[in-house]
Amino acid sequence: MAETARSTVRITTGGILSGLRGLGPIAIFVVPFGIAYGVAAIERGVTLDQSVLMSLLIFSGAAQFAALEFWGGPIPTISLLLTVFAVSARLILMGATLSPWLSQLSRPRRMLALAVLSDLNFADSYIALRRGDGDIGRLVGGGLGLCGAWIAGTAIGAIAGASLGDLDRFGIDVIMATFFVATLIGQWEGKGNLVPAVVAAAVAVIGLYTLPAGWNILIAALAGGLAGGVLHRGR
Amino acid sequence: MEGNAASSYAAILLMALVVYATRVAGAELMTMIRITPRIGAFLKSMATSVLVAIVAAEMARGSLRESAAILGAAAVMLLTRKPMAAISAGVAIAAVYSGIAV
Repeated sequence: MAETARSTVRITTGGILSGLRGLGPIAIFVVPFGIAYGVAAIERGVTLDQSVLMSLLIFSGAAQFAALEFWGGPIPTISLLLTVFAVSARLILMGATLSPWLSQLSRPRRMLALAVLSDLNFADSYIALRRGDGDIGRLVGGGLGLCGAWIAGTAIGAIAGASLGDLDRFGIDVIMATFFVATLIGQWEGKGNLVPAVVAAAVAVIGLYTLPAGWNILIAALAGGLAGGVLHRGR
Repeated sequence: MEGNAASSYAAILLMALVVYATRVAGAELMTMIRITPRIGAFLKSMATSVLVAIVAAEMARGSLRESAAILGAAAVMLLTRKPMAAISAGVAIAAVYSGIAV
């Protein structure tokens, strides 16, 4: 890992374009996801401009869907922000995971590139970076494509509203999980991955029933990471 | 109503700040830490673990429909090594399942 990280890390237009191309097909799947959010937001009393503003500034399906639970009355700000933090906290871990490459960029560039970090372009660019391609443009381009699709979908959903009905019947709700499964299989490196994966899966499922919403993913990812770290010296 | 709208915009801005902070915090914290092989292994395992955790929770929370879609996608990925084929298969399974169930 340390060696791959030493290749020249940069952000190029070519990298941004490759991210757009690489995640383009997935971004198309994100549009109906955005539509589902737009519909849900309008139903909760969020206005069209507010819903589009959220998708532009927050750009996180998990955080935005969770936030809707708090809408429609006086907003309990602290509970809202804690929940948003909990469901977004895995981004901290993703940023840390990308840090061997990111830390070679200047801070302003790094902080600009990370503005579009999300689950999907994290998974995509992590594979490219591990392969030795040090172009963070891949992360940025993928993020811009996803964000554009997310905003467009939100606007369509908020305008069309409830007339669209329940979009889950088209299977769009499984896009993220199936993309992650495909990524996991694509980047699988053999037995060394097994123990952390089993630990993470077990903690995630147990935590689903025992922890407040969102925390299970965070704790599970940390537990899996620790398992990998502890096992490292042993072999 | 006016005050309510203003507090909605304020809440949106605060949420945006919290989420942005989570996006940059990991990389900023790690600039203060030297990445030893053990920390490298920790980060690498965490990358896999966060995806595994999301998928496992999704399967546990969902019904047979979600599990069938995820396992179908895994099978197609193992056979074809093409992520888009795997995702399409998963979505198709979920859509067909919804069609039959409703």
